Amino acid sequence: MSLTTFMGVERDKIDWSPTIDYTKCDYCMECVNFCPHKVFEVRENEEIKLIIRNPDNCVVFCRACSKICGPDALSFPDKNATTQRIKEIRKEETNG
Amino acid sequence: MVENYAILPCNGLDKCAGVISRELAIKLCENAHNEIICPVYSRVAEKKYNKIAGEHSLLVIDGCQTRCASKLAAEKNLKISRKVTITEEAKNHNIELGNNLRLQENENGLIEIILNGLNTEDKVTPFSDEINVEYNFKYKTYQNGKFIFRVPENPEVYFNENDCWAYVIGNRARIGVTDFVQQNLSDILFFAPPEIGAEIDQFGEAGEIESSKSVFELISPVSGKVISINETLLQTPELVNENPYELGWIAELELTGFESDKELLIGFGKYFEIMKKKVEDLNG
Ligand code: SF4
Ligand code: SF4
Repeated sequence: MSLTTFMGVERDKIDWSPTIDYTKCDYCMECVNFCPHKVFEVRENEEIKLIIRNPDNCVVFCRACSKICGPDALSFPDKNATTQRIKEIRKEETNG
Repeated sequence: MVENYAILPCNGLDKCAGVISRELAIKLCENAHNEIICPVYSRVAEKKYNKIAGEHSLLVIDGCQTRCASKLAAEKNLKISRKVTITEEAKNHNIELGNNLRLQENENGLIEIILNGLNTEDKVTPFSDEINVEYNFKYKTYQNGKFIFRVPENPEVYFNENDCWAYVIGNRARIGVTDFVQQNLSDILFFAPPEIGAEIDQFGEAGEIESSKSVFELISPVSGKVISINETLLQTPELVNENPYELGWIAELELTGFESDKELLIGFGKYFEIMKKKVEDLNG
């Protein structure tokens, strides 16, 4: 189980996980072996062999897997926008 | 200047970036007194290359982020003093690499840029700290099996949930990683500092530490301008394993928005609980 809140905000309200660019990914599976959080899922017998299965397991602001991806196939949301969003949600929750 | 180095390129022959790593290694040896370590031959000629590595500082050239050359160095227990990653350099200099295994204009241009960079970069401006700040850490520890995790309980130390800390004094902060990161990575072999003068946003990248197991990018708890880095770590990154708060600190920042950054930071009590839970989750 991973944490269900991040900075006091429910994790599923925060949009943060890698997006796979399938035009670049060569299914080397380095990212899968690297990340301990079961974010990715390998699907041996499908045409698309790798998907983001558990986006909410991804550690907010972590980008580590993109650093080990040779073909640079992983991208992330904008960090500042995410920070802003977290602040907004926290405000809404304390006011509401 | 790259002089008296052992150069270990990834030499990947089926990728453009690998071919560039090879060419760069050759150039570095043509222009100065450096020795190449062939990654393929090193598999069988360990003795020969251990001798070369023992007598020189090691410069590793990785083609891409798969980091084959770095991994080989880690496997052979060789300490990396400097490192170049071709795909990263290409990105930083906005150079598009082709798929061709014969080097073209773009690739040769990149090699020249990297060579120039390497030959000038050791003139790191030393930082003179006029304010003598004392960092006195007090710890609480948590033990799980044979692993001991220290967490500073000083009220001046703030954490983010990405396992990085900031010790704030006045308008400055020293930042680093916690014992949780250091224990997870195990033996740290390489430190890539943030650039002095760089403006870092809250939760922006502030350097990297690397072990044979993994790479960890420090996520800065605070926003600010980098005014100094822990230069000792360039030669002895293992100090982060010893103590990531004291000798193993990463950088110092001049704060630019701490009042607002604070909203998204936690103190000792909360971090201690979060870290405990993470350790328990990891150990099942
Ligand atoms: S590391 Fe990159 S290329 Fe390899 S499987 Fe993951 S996304 Fe694809
Ligand atoms: S960003 Fe970090 S936590 Fe998220 S999938 Fe990649 S390695 Fe895992």
